[in-house]
Amino acid sequence: MYKRQTKLEKVLTYIALTVIMLFFLLPLLWILRTSLITKVEAYKIPPNWMASLTFDNYISIFKDNTFGQYFFNSFFIALASTVVSVLLGAMSAYWIVRCARRSDRMKLAILVTQMIPPVVMVIPLSLIVKGLGLDDSYIALIVAYLSFNLPYVIWMLFSHYESIPRELDDACAVDGCTRAQTYFKVVLPLVMPGIMSTAVYSFIVSWNEFMFALNMTGLKTRTLPVAIASLDTQQGVMIAELCAATIVAILPVIFLSIFIKKYLVQGLTFGSVK
Amino acid sequence: MKSIHKHSGDSSIRTARRKDFLLFMLPSLIALMLVLAIPLAYSLITSFFDTNLKYQGLGEFRGLQNYIEVLKDTYFTESVLTTLKFTVCVVVLEFVVGLVIALLLNNIYKARNFFFTIIIVPMMITPIAVGLIWRLLLHSDLGIVNYLLSLIGISGKAWLADSSLALGTVMFIDIWQNVPYMVLVILAGLVTLPTEPYEAAAIDGASRTQSFFRLTVPMMMPTFSVVLLLRSITALKTYDLIFVLTRGGPGTTTEVISYHIYQQAFRYLEIGKASAMSYLLLLLIVPIAFLFIRISRSRTT
Repeated sequence: MYKRQTKLEKVLTYIALTVIMLFFLLPLLWILRTSLITKVEAYKIPPNWMASLTFDNYISIFKDNTFGQYFFNSFFIALASTVVSVLLGAMSAYWIVRCARRSDRMKLAILVTQMIPPVVMVIPLSLIVKGLGLDDSYIALIVAYLSFNLPYVIWMLFSHYESIPRELDDACAVDGCTRAQTYFKVVLPLVMPGIMSTAVYSFIVSWNEFMFALNMTGLKTRTLPVAIASLDTQQGVMIAELCAATIVAILPVIFLSIFIKKYLVQGLTFGSVK
Repeated sequence: MKSIHKHSGDSSIRTARRKDFLLFMLPSLIALMLVLAIPLAYSLITSFFDTNLKYQGLGEFRGLQNYIEVLKDTYFTESVLTTLKFTVCVVVLEFVVGLVIALLLNNIYKARNFFFTIIIVPMMITPIAVGLIWRLLLHSDLGIVNYLLSLIGISGKAWLADSSLALGTVMFIDIWQNVPYMVLVILAGLVTLPTEPYEAAAIDGASRTQSFFRLTVPMMMPTFSVVLLLRSITALKTYDLIFVLTRGGPGTTTEVISYHIYQQAFRYLEIGKASAMSYLLLLLIVPIAFLFIRISRSRTT
């Protein structure tokens, strides 16, 4: 593998990679293109390659279809659930790593929760939410998302706390700091990068979530994935608008994922590949 | 108790510890109880009852009857088989394709980051968007795919509506979305491999195939097992893609377990049976999760 390659091999590798890249990229570019042409052009087969570009579809989904509201709903619910998970999870992860007597078992329990399929959770959660009369409320989905966000944040932060030497905590204790002072003044600033990347990842997962949102949101609190899925079935397929809505739903995530690219591997393998 | 041991240092440490516990752990414990423990317990209880959304309360106690009926239900067992077929196919194919792409990327230096950044995009997108994108592309009359195929003389197909093609099409779309995951993780493993063994092997006259199977594969084994197991778990949970692409159809050809359970609960309102199915699904995932945890533990310690 580290042997010197012939020039031909190099060229072939680049050609193969270009083809592969196009396989992943072209579908997205086609959707982008369809979102930028008129409704009539979008239906044309064979396609009119010279169709002029317009932002009409974007304007239309935000004006006629209250996509602004759905965008806000997605943003607010994902952000709120992430913030709550981080506020609670960051402290608990620290406690489990540093103070808990059976930290191994607690870690295991936290990891196991990540394997539970959403369909298993959505049935009891939605019954509880409906029983409490909380359907179509922000709080229902924010709390429901804690069921995967909170354990995820706790699990991901274990290794960040473990990478900080225990002697640092001990030194603070000798200086008379309480556990809380040690945590907030010394440890927390050191794990901030870990917390940020975990938070961004947890935001992306919440932003993309569908099944809970499908079940617990109504017209008022509907998130983007539910909104685009229903745009598809409402009045036939409105191709151009559907494409615009899809681009709106995926663009923030693409942007954020580039931002945390360095941490993605850790985030996606529960830290088992570094 | 507190006042008796006022002067003992041991006790003041203990009270401090208790206070810290309340501050650091209690909020999370309450939240986890609320969103995980209680719902899971509720599900387990309803799985033994004839709970139905058509009427109030838990309904009649049925013991293991729900489980027995579910296991006898051919619709359920078929959805299990579909899920297993789907999982095995997509995980194996995604792994092989992902490995090849990762090896290619590992062979180049110039523009690696550029290729990599674009290739990992599909993985980040919500499966709902991925499903909608491919539905438009594969639309039998209005889709670009059938049009391009017609240019080279292949007649278009109803990719998602034809019962002999639907499952394969769904798998293909899943592969488009999740190969990037394999590329990402496998490449991360490849770049950390030491170069010395390869240099030594080259001096000894080993061919590239030999060094791949004798060096790369054994050294990458931990990463391979992690991606295979994790991806198997997520594939067993697949729901969103099925929802947008086929709703389990045509017929029940693409009805995976998660979709079947969801329908049982929210369309037929049979919560008791759906809960029993949920626990059977958990049973399916537990051994894989257990393997993953053992491997990831031995790696981190």
